[in-house]
Amino acid sequence: MNMNMKSIVECERKKGEKFLNFRLPHYYKKIGWVGFALVFTVLLSTKFFDGDYEVLKIVLKKLSLVFLLLVVFSKEKIEDEMIQKIRAQSFSFAFLGGVSYTLGQPIINYFVFLIATPEKAIVEDLGDFQILWFMLTVYLMFFYVTKKRS
Amino acid sequence: MKNTLKVERAINNLTQDELSKRIGVSRQTINSIETNRYVPSTLLALKLSVVFNKAVNEFFSIEETD
Repeated sequence: MNMNMKSIVECERKKGEKFLNFRLPHYYKKIGWVGFALVFTVLLSTKFFDGDYEVLKIVLKKLSLVFLLLVVFSKEKIEDEMIQKIRAQSFSFAFLGGVSYTLGQPIINYFVFLIATPEKAIVEDLGDFQILWFMLTVYLMFFYVTKKRS
Repeated sequence: MKNTLKVERAINNLTQDELSKRIGVSRQTINSIETNRYVPSTLLALKLSVVFNKAVNEFFSIEETD
């Protein structure tokens, strides 16, 4: 009975590890960057053409997050243990950065407005897009800088 | 932690690139280990020990600060 329980726990642990270590193949990195560049160009070009692009903009913004996520979750050309360590560090750095940004940015914003235009000063929370975009970019920057330096 | 990876590599007449391919890591990882910027896992140390045909503690040693 005890033995059986142990093997179930062991099996679950292995499954969990497999899930956590899952990475997309390397070519997804290319798909991610190209897709992101395309989405970004279209987003920028909506500024230069007249029309109502509200829905399109919402969809494109979400799409850009998905493409960045593809870049983050695809393997490097040689995915060895040092890369995995840098990856783990980047994730924790991006998480810390994300939380501090979410908490700190509205306050900084408030004080900046208070100095510049006091009547407009309000504490306003960041949107989900802004937070996620920040975290993904911080992750990618930290990852590539650390990789290059190591 | 100190290591004499560079010396061992010279003895075995291997480049960083050749060694990295033998143990399945990137060349950059070998370089980082040699310059003491990365401490490899036990698994990687044992793989190196197989390539060099030497015990792990013959080319890795701890320092007082460790």
